[in-house]
Amino acid sequence: MSNKIIAMIRKELIDAARDKRSVMAGLYYAVGTPLLMCAMFFLLIGQLTSPEDLNIKIDNAKGAPDLVKFLSSRGIKHGEAEDTKEIKLIISDDYAANMAKGLSAEVILIADASNEKLQNSIRRLERSLQEYSGEMGSLRLIARGIDPRIMQPIKVNVKDEATPDSKAGMILGLATMTMIYAVFISGMNLAIDTSAGERERNSLALLLSHPVSTWEIVIAKITAVTIFAMVGLILTLLISKVAYSFVPWQELGFAVSVNTSFIVMMLLVGLPVALMAACLQLFVSFMAKSFKEAQSYITIVLILPMMLAMAASYNIAPEAIQWLPISGQMQALIEFIKGRELPLTQIAVSSAFTLAIAIGLAIGMQKSLKSEKIVFGL
Amino acid sequence: MLHGMYSQLRAQISPVLWRHKRASAAILLAMGMIPLAVHADETNNASAQQACYVDGLSEQMQCGAISVPENYAEPDGKQIQIHYVVMPATKPSDRKEALLAIAGGPGQSAIENAQGFDRMLTKVRQTEDVILIDQRGTGQSNQLQCVGDAFDSALAVDESLFDTRAETQKCLDELDADVTQYGSLNALKDFEAVRAHLGYQKLHLYGVSYGTRMAQLYMRHYPDSLVTVTLDGVVPMQQSVLAIGNAIARAFELLIEDCSNNQLCHKQFPDLKADLDKVDAELTQAPQISLVPDPLTGEATKLTMTRSKFKGALRMALYSPATRSLIPHAIHQAANGNFQPITGLYAMSMDNAGIAMGMHASVVCGEDWQRLTPELREQTNQSYFGHEMLKTFAQSCEVWNMPAVDASFSEPIASDIPTLLLSGELDPATPPSWGEIAMEKLSNAKHFIAPYATHGVAYQSCGNDLIAQLIEQGAVTELDGECLTEDIRRNFYLNASTVEAIPSDDAAKSDEQTALNQ
Amino acid sequence: MIQVSNLSKRIGDVQALNDLSFSAQNGQITGLLGPNGAGKTTCLRTVFGLLKPDQGFAEIDGIDIAKSPVAAKQQLGLFPDPFGLYERLTPREYISYFAELNGLSRKEAKLATNNVIDKLHLADIADRHCKGFSQGQRMKTALAQAIVHQPTNIILDEPTRGLDVMSTRVLRDILRDLKNQGHCVLFSSHVMQEVAALCDQVIVMAAGQVVAVGSPDALCQQTGKDSLEDAFIQLIGTDEGIAA
Repeated sequence: MSNKIIAMIRKELIDAARDKRSVMAGLYYAVGTPLLMCAMFFLLIGQLTSPEDLNIKIDNAKGAPDLVKFLSSRGIKHGEAEDTKEIKLIISDDYAANMAKGLSAEVILIADASNEKLQNSIRRLERSLQEYSGEMGSLRLIARGIDPRIMQPIKVNVKDEATPDSKAGMILGLATMTMIYAVFISGMNLAIDTSAGERERNSLALLLSHPVSTWEIVIAKITAVTIFAMVGLILTLLISKVAYSFVPWQELGFAVSVNTSFIVMMLLVGLPVALMAACLQLFVSFMAKSFKEAQSYITIVLILPMMLAMAASYNIAPEAIQWLPISGQMQALIEFIKGRELPLTQIAVSSAFTLAIAIGLAIGMQKSLKSEKIVFGL
Repeated sequence: MLHGMYSQLRAQISPVLWRHKRASAAILLAMGMIPLAVHADETNNASAQQACYVDGLSEQMQCGAISVPENYAEPDGKQIQIHYVVMPATKPSDRKEALLAIAGGPGQSAIENAQGFDRMLTKVRQTEDVILIDQRGTGQSNQLQCVGDAFDSALAVDESLFDTRAETQKCLDELDADVTQYGSLNALKDFEAVRAHLGYQKLHLYGVSYGTRMAQLYMRHYPDSLVTVTLDGVVPMQQSVLAIGNAIARAFELLIEDCSNNQLCHKQFPDLKADLDKVDAELTQAPQISLVPDPLTGEATKLTMTRSKFKGALRMALYSPATRSLIPHAIHQAANGNFQPITGLYAMSMDNAGIAMGMHASVVCGEDWQRLTPELREQTNQSYFGHEMLKTFAQSCEVWNMPAVDASFSEPIASDIPTLLLSGELDPATPPSWGEIAMEKLSNAKHFIAPYATHGVAYQSCGNDLIAQLIEQGAVTELDGECLTEDIRRNFYLNASTVEAIPSDDAAKSDEQTALNQ
Repeated sequence: MIQVSNLSKRIGDVQALNDLSFSAQNGQITGLLGPNGAGKTTCLRTVFGLLKPDQGFAEIDGIDIAKSPVAAKQQLGLFPDPFGLYERLTPREYISYFAELNGLSRKEAKLATNNVIDKLHLADIADRHCKGFSQGQRMKTALAQAIVHQPTNIILDEPTRGLDVMSTRVLRDILRDLKNQGHCVLFSSHVMQEVAALCDQVIVMAAGQVVAVGSPDALCQQTGKDSLEDAFIQLIGTDEGIAA
């Protein structure tokens, strides 16, 4: 790389580093997003897990004292306080009579199953009731001299191929999306500042009057923006690594850890994406007439990578997206996180696509810097 | 089938320091499922560790085995495979420590009991890996099992006609092992080797029942490898397990007392003690022979109801709170000539004998039989079970010919490792007084007695939370046994169907009347 | 030397340059004088290669700007209007940056920057961020940027616009210095006194064409007027767009 390019990159970075707006945009995102995600997960975990002491309404508890005592030993109790869940268990009047005759004694469970906050608690109550019923059924058989095993003609042995890592895949998919997005956000302000901003401040014409080729200018600007994007990504990763370790994932039955191999993978995969992001943002801002206009264009343009990333992390799009930029890399990353084999072809193809787009945009930019219209904003 | 007549019969009259699997629905139904629980390939490569599944758990575990010499004095001699399973922590704090859970018996496979351990150690597993090792002579680790002849049905046999000496000799002849190498001390070396192989710097220990002996030996021989220890259902080093006879008798008395203190039970079974004595006396005279449907196949089969079957079934029922609640009804029915509930309970205990009787004999004959003092022998002989045990072990230990452990084996453990001891007041195997004996020279220990628990306190109470707390804090100072006193007692079965108060006919009729009038 | 030959350039509907030809010699200050909209800025931008002429060409020291822009620009220094400062850089960083863009190594650039800072008496502000500079300070910084690499040719676009008297005098002195050192100085202006006071040669432009060329005195003689201002009005045929 020539001295001129290095000088330009250095100048862009010094300039950007002193620009509060550029730095803050990246910093807010890199620091804020992982923390926000963590806060969200904290809330989510609190809502999804059933409380240790599950207080519900139990009607006619004196009709089945043993059942009530059993539920109590499972942490399910009758409560009147505010934390009592909207779940009601009614023990029928003829409970004891039916039980004594060896019949089925009826209990009624009233709850809104569509209430997601209750689902775990409802399931826990159902499970406890099943357990009690199963235990009594077994003992009823024993009391009649019958081996209770006959009640289980089929024994289902589930072998779950999920690893703790793959169980965390959904969460990490979301986290990966925010991380990939960091390369778009972190470099965005610099990209606008160094293109539309440069023209608005009249330094673009001055720069072009100097003996540097438009290619050198384009390469320098892309590099500077890419460096900013990558710094944002690194920061996001490091903060995620620390912040995510504080979330009590184990309560969801899996762990989410941002480990070193993930960070390295993310950086490798993130680099072409950062390059493309830089080219895209620079290109769009050069096309815009002013700083403000560039900001609004870019905001619109950024919806596209966001949608691709979302499509990948939620697995909701057609097959084709596995080869597209961003979505392809995201899917491959998620596979990697889940501890499966890294789909190299997919990464190679989508990264190649990404780079091709970046190069195309760079060529466009280089051409546009030769256009009088673009340079003078005519 | 790995278990034949021999183990079925022997289990009834052995110390049996195992944790009776909890009779909760799913587990109770899965009881006695014998197939090899772990499907990892047998391999000579000690470092081979691979993803595997254990019985009853859908989650992926890591399985492996190491090669150790059968006889540590001959390191180049015969090698045996010690199999282990690592149940990974969901969010490991670090991989430097893990919890080693040690099963009872002696002779139970820890790996076959993975489901129970997993359930009990849920909280611990959030941050710590849990290691299960099939102790040498159990499970997949060169199991010493006596299959015996498959004569008739176990229901039909009269135990008093069983020739213990001959059957034991036959078993010994069939085993391809130097049975004298299957005592606790060799197994301890295996455990430490597995720890080193897996690369954990330190271990938390959880030992249940006979497993507490292994844990205490660990404290004595490798104190530097341990962070904390939990002894659940304590067998103190000073105690021969053959003294269990008195504990059984005590547990029977507590049951009868419980029933008479319980309004419903007392009303339904006012003469429980008399009923028990009556059946006992009748069966001592002569076994009752009848034709019953087989508990499993439903086919007509001969049932020889002996005193051994009767008392053995009741004894095994005492291990778990669920089956314990059926005992008054079972006794009462037996007194009225209906042995169905006893047959049901007997079938349960028969199929639940997941004990490698060869290894069991190696441990008991080497470590417990020979140290019985004449006084203790005399005292043990007083109770029915003590008497039966002394009789059979006298015969089988003669065949087994184990060298006795040193006298120092029986010394109390002196240690300042944070140690939690848990005892169940209703325990028919390891009474709370045994926990007190173990406390003698433990300077950093707490002993909690759960008033309503039987054998295996952590499975029946908040004991599992206490273990999680101990592991998290690394000290016993903060531990508070208050939660153990919560009254979790359940009702006794009042008939073959219910534990709730049986509405009197009058009350039922008036209820119907009101219902009709409405 | 700057040589412009037959430049024509159409921007939109306006014929900004119409067969424009002139040359500016080394060791001379050449003024490009013309009313607003005469095509001065378009002409200078074309000389810098920022605009492509429809016809004709511009040469810097004999190098065609359209054919080898980098080599040609190497011989040029631009004092732009407006200045185009980077507000977050210090003058030292700013000057040194453009020195490097002109092919100086980092070390050489530092040295050259120090020299030009001394020459323009910029030392007191050299390490402050440009943000908040007065117009005079900005002018000096922009000028330093134009001459740091010691180009043969220096082009100034409306250099005195917005400057106070003191700054204007400083600028004049510097331009005279440059001339005396043998540089070719070309500047555009519509301020008569400026041109009259400085220029060895004046090129009068109107509607994209050269109307007259010569020293201020020669132009006065040619038109028979006493002042350059009158001569100028005579030449372009209107008094529109002239600042007194």
